[in-house]
Amino acid sequence: MTEFTRRRVLIGGAAIAGASALPFGFARPAFSQAKPKVVVIGGGPGGATLAKYLARDSNGAIDVTLVEPKESFTTCFHSNLYLGDVRGWDSINHSYDEIASKYGITHARTTASGIDRNARTVTLADGGTLDYDHLVVAPGISLKYDSVEGYSEEVAERLPHAWLAGPQTQLLKAQLDALEDGAQIVMIAPPNPYRCPPGPYERVSMMAHLLKNKGHTNSRIVILDTKESFSKQGLFSEGWQRHYPGMIEWQDPTMHGGIGAVDADTMTVETDLADYEADLINVIPAQMAGMIAIDAGLANETGYCPIVAETMRSTLDENVTVLGDATIAGDMPKSGFSANSQAKVAANAIRASLTDSRQFPARYANTCWSLIDTDDAVKVGGRYEPKDGKITAVETFVSQTGEDAEMRRRTQEENMGWYAGIVADIFT
Amino acid sequence: MWSEFLPLMNIPRPPRLGLAASLAKAMLVASAALFPVAAQGASGDREFGEFLAGECVTCHQISGSYDGIPPIIGWPEEAFIHAMEDYRDRTRPNEVMQSIAGRYSDEEIAAMAAYFGSLTLQPRPQ
Repeated sequence: MTEFTRRRVLIGGAAIAGASALPFGFARPAFSQAKPKVVVIGGGPGGATLAKYLARDSNGAIDVTLVEPKESFTTCFHSNLYLGDVRGWDSINHSYDEIASKYGITHARTTASGIDRNARTVTLADGGTLDYDHLVVAPGISLKYDSVEGYSEEVAERLPHAWLAGPQTQLLKAQLDALEDGAQIVMIAPPNPYRCPPGPYERVSMMAHLLKNKGHTNSRIVILDTKESFSKQGLFSEGWQRHYPGMIEWQDPTMHGGIGAVDADTMTVETDLADYEADLINVIPAQMAGMIAIDAGLANETGYCPIVAETMRSTLDENVTVLGDATIAGDMPKSGFSANSQAKVAANAIRASLTDSRQFPARYANTCWSLIDTDDAVKVGGRYEPKDGKITAVETFVSQTGEDAEMRRRTQEENMGWYAGIVADIFT
Repeated sequence: MWSEFLPLMNIPRPPRLGLAASLAKAMLVASAALFPVAAQGASGDREFGEFLAGECVTCHQISGSYDGIPPIIGWPEEAFIHAMEDYRDRTRPNEVMQSIAGRYSDEEIAAMAAYFGSLTLQPRPQ
């Protein structure tokens, strides 16, 4: 199951199917102006990579439109490094202009407001409509604000989540920078599955890094977790003890007994064990697929979108591909690296179905680097292939506790090198 | 000890193979240089290599720029193949590269060697 069904070519309202049949039984568009149209919703690592690879590799044979309201993209990855003053703001922002002009991608700078899967159209917030032969939905996540009592999109203006990079990240940074020594930070960490599994713990590391550098060693960070364990736990615990003794306390549900309400007026978080007063509260709520995917009926009861492991095509609509954090990608974590990897497999599959180019077997990869302190980074990753109806890990690795400083320094060098690599891969 | 982050200039490394095999490889390289047409035929599937390269270029920049992860473009195909073989049999360190190389067949490595070997350094835009 590796091919998409080619869309009927509509000319003057009449459906002309099989006008010039190819050996594989697909109809080639009858006229040159009937170029296959691919619409990509969302310009993150999934959508932007897909748009670039599809446009570049099809050499103009496919009409690619990227629907993305923003002029430039703030990467969630390395936004924790911005919080820790390891990176500047500009360095995590990337314009779409280069890929749009270089590869002939139409950048529709508006929001996709709806998908009509029967008519194969996308309606746009600016009033326009786009037809598609194949649709790529890469909307990332949406936040379930009501998963935390007392939290909402409005309250997030005072208690930032900063889990969608952009103004929220800058708000959290401003709050962090304004803290005095002795301040208490409370983070509510999200339940699985969520974007960037090690992200909350790297964030805490970078907060502590910033505080330590300012001499604020009397400050404290409490993580109230909804999970009993977390990604790279042994590595983070070891690093926190080494670099930030007494500054970070992690509580699993058996310790806090359950998280109650957050209150932005009194700056408190209730738990069964105690109420915590805080100078900064970072609430990372539960997550699900981006709303447009849910509204279009592309998600199942899990809140995420099931896909065909060989192609990233939706199992619910063969004319739709879903990428990245919005998908149920088997053993792959929700990460920018994963989305970028999935986009290349999908671009190959879509191009093969629309232009009869070669299709190759799907292979996926991911690595997540996390910075704990200056020159102390760790990584976890794997390689993945379609197996038993899902994307399955065939090879994994993780940094070890007790690694020497030189190894950790090199891992950080690799982390910075990877960032430069992936943003060049997506945005140039 | 081969560095984990071997710069490009150090890539040709002492052969791991027996003398006969080394000679055979040396002859292959020599004949490839003398008969470029024959070399093309013996080389990997570049288009397949370009697809597989999607995994590499997430970290190794296709422009050849270096920002902490070494460039892998424009290498002699043999050098690329040797490096990947060493990662695959874990004689060269780096968990990421060992994990990546461990899943590739000889044919796939040859395909990537053909693709990356065909690329040239792009000047970094200002």
